[in-house]
Amino acid sequence: MKQVTQNIFDFSGDVAIKVKSLDLHYGAFHALKNINCEMRRGAITALIGPSGCGKSTLLKTLNRMNDLVEGCRIDGKVEIGGVDIYDKRTDVSLLRKSVGMVFQRPNPFPMSIYDNIAYGPRTFGVRKKAELGDIVESSLKAANLWDELKDQLHKSALALSGGQQQRLCIARALAIKPEILLMDEPTSALDPISTGKIEELCEKLKEELTVVIVTHNMQQAARISDDTAFFLLGELIEFGPTDKIFASPEKEQTLNYISGRFG
Amino acid sequence: MKKVSECGKRRGDVAAKAVFAASAVFSVFAVFAIVFYILYESIPALSEIGVFNFIFGTLWAPTKDFLDVSERFGVLPMIVGTLCVSAGAVLVGGVAGVFSAICLKAFCPKKLRGVIGGMINFLAGIPSIVYGFFGLTLLVPMLSDISSTGSGKGILASSLILGMMILPTVTSMTKDALDAVPDSYREGALALGATPQQAMFKVVVPAAKSGIITSLVLGMGRAVGETMAVMMVAGNVPEFPKGLFSNIRTLTINMVVEMGYATGLHRQALIATGSVLLVIVLALNFGIGLARRPKKYREKKGKNVLVSKSERSAPVFVKSGSGCTVLKYISIVCVAAVAASLATLIVFILVKGLPHIDANLLFGESGNAGMTLRPAFVTTGLLILIALAIALPIGICAAIFLAEYSKRDSRLVRVIRLFTETLSGMPSIIFGFFGMLMFCELMQMRTSILAGGITLSLMILPTVIRSTEESLLAVDNSLREASLALGAGKLRTTVRVVLPSALSGIVTAIILSIGRIVGESAALIYTAGAVPYEPESVMDSGSSFAVMMWLFASEGLYIDYAYATAAVLLIMVALINVAVFLVKRRLAVKAFGATGQRGGKKAQKESK
Repeated sequence: MKQVTQNIFDFSGDVAIKVKSLDLHYGAFHALKNINCEMRRGAITALIGPSGCGKSTLLKTLNRMNDLVEGCRIDGKVEIGGVDIYDKRTDVSLLRKSVGMVFQRPNPFPMSIYDNIAYGPRTFGVRKKAELGDIVESSLKAANLWDELKDQLHKSALALSGGQQQRLCIARALAIKPEILLMDEPTSALDPISTGKIEELCEKLKEELTVVIVTHNMQQAARISDDTAFFLLGELIEFGPTDKIFASPEKEQTLNYISGRFG
Repeated sequence: MKKVSECGKRRGDVAAKAVFAASAVFSVFAVFAIVFYILYESIPALSEIGVFNFIFGTLWAPTKDFLDVSERFGVLPMIVGTLCVSAGAVLVGGVAGVFSAICLKAFCPKKLRGVIGGMINFLAGIPSIVYGFFGLTLLVPMLSDISSTGSGKGILASSLILGMMILPTVTSMTKDALDAVPDSYREGALALGATPQQAMFKVVVPAAKSGIITSLVLGMGRAVGETMAVMMVAGNVPEFPKGLFSNIRTLTINMVVEMGYATGLHRQALIATGSVLLVIVLALNFGIGLARRPKKYREKKGKNVLVSKSERSAPVFVKSGSGCTVLKYISIVCVAAVAASLATLIVFILVKGLPHIDANLLFGESGNAGMTLRPAFVTTGLLILIALAIALPIGICAAIFLAEYSKRDSRLVRVIRLFTETLSGMPSIIFGFFGMLMFCELMQMRTSILAGGITLSLMILPTVIRSTEESLLAVDNSLREASLALGAGKLRTTVRVVLPSALSGIVTAIILSIGRIVGESAALIYTAGAVPYEPESVMDSGSSFAVMMWLFASEGLYIDYAYATAAVLLIMVALINVAVFLVKRRLAVKAFGATGQRGGKKAQKESK
């Protein structure tokens, strides 16, 4: 195996993601203020908070999708698998291979189901048909889609329902065997039944990888997550086990939010 | 994952970006090359004749050897002639075009909108040689009945034909300008009690003023550079115009008519004529560029005027408002007139031409003894292949650079766009002269299909760039994000995900380019040649359809074949328009599907 970068991800520790005094500016706007937290390996961490509080922004810093945003400036440190991801020697492609992402709106490529899932592996040099076939099958199985779609792998992905498209996007992210999966409000565009299926899936995914999920839906956070982080106006107000955050939050703002006084 | 190689990474990214950037700068380079080479080739003539004598000389008599060189090469009558017919064209086609756009925007039933839009596109696609021929065979005889001189040719005929030709440009640009006016302006006026026509003419049109003026200037640029059509109806006498029916000669006519036999100083003087034309066209183009700049100031000013006007119009409305109603009917009449002219052209050409499309025309042997269209199939096909083989890669790479690799509206992008627009506004005859000087002579390709094809590739480049760029920009950003989030690099994302999604834009570009090539004549006569023979290789001369039609039309014996070729060209234009329509509709369906409203069409069907 050929590693181009000197930074090698190592996910054997208990902490998958470590954020240290992170500040983020969009131009003059201070979007994240001195964020410190650690996310456990093999857990589901939910990021909650009102719109514009910075939760999606934090998610995007974890796989450097913020690189695409013009005028975005980052200070502080984000360590994933023991590697400072904003270090010059870190390869962004390999980072994103280890840290997959699922977006708010399902965004399958206008290709067949098969090609959608094979896209990632092909990017990383998998060419053999048998190997790709195995990856497609195992990824679809992991996303609970195999039984529904196994006979129509060469149909366009755009012909699927919204819920199926979103699970396809999850399968696509799983196909490159990430260690961490970032989910940015993955169910906000879906109906309740599809949402249920995705939540079920999250529980299952937890067995193999670390999940960080941004959600607007507090019941969802309470249902599926192990840890919860509450953000307000760019600050991390409270971070801890989900049970504790929802049952007896330490901060008043957290209590106000989860009891629905603003948001 | 077993195999982790560097595939998704920047191995090729830097090199690729350099290629894209170089392609994007190519159109800047092409404009400079054309301008400087034609100016450079004009130096000998201008220094021998004298710039002042050349531009302000009133006599054009290249063969009168007994006169001094400073006296017999004067292009002022042609400059005046060019400006007269162009002004006439703007008066006819510009006014009709602006009113048509207004009608299309505001007073046209929704169902008719598509039909009128299609009609305008069709007008834009008709080759100039067909317009000229239509003018020569129908308009000129009609005008000669009312003419004081007995000849229908001259300024009036040229203005009418050129007006028809620039109308699509003016209409589509005016329509864009009107569409860009915020709907709240119109709503504001309506809420104050203005009628729809008052809202349109007192609020929306004034707000779109700068865009409308731009469209008129651009239309004027087109008219100044038009060659083949005006050649057939202008009368071709290098004297100052005195009335609507005076025969005149434009700069372009001078270039295309005499280049065939000119030698020595005469030939150099014709190239210098090209320089004069080039300067006028560039001045118009850059004039637009400058006029567009102080936009913010103008918008503010316009807004203040608007508010006060519409406030005032409410009480006045009860009494009158008939002026705007009159304008409304004028705009409807304009559309009707455009439709009638187009219908006349189509019916006339088809009725006269269709009966003469026979086996001999399409498949007969062609040569000096008898000319047929057969060589045009081969030649046009080769020209299309060569032009696309050059323009497609460069154009697509340039579009990728503009859409994917550069910041929106950075200075570099604006410069590239300005030059691309300048390139697309250059007259065909200028391309023809440049191709002749650069490819045929300097690069020693002689008059050949290869030289013609390369020349055409420069002409279609702006179309390829614009059409591809538009469709790249229409690709949903979430697809780019999805690819990047999977660890793919920028190059892979662009080539594998974005470009395939923009395929219909590229297909549209190809179809439009084919349309342009099929109908092109002025750029080809002196690059690919105008001969009735079948070419044996790309190094031979050959005539495209439109050039063949010119050959037919310029010899009295083949007038029926000229009609027949015109009919063939019209049918091709129609097919190309249909093809573009179909491709664009597919694009719309696809984009609908990709926005997450999955299976839009299917879902609708099921719900029924």
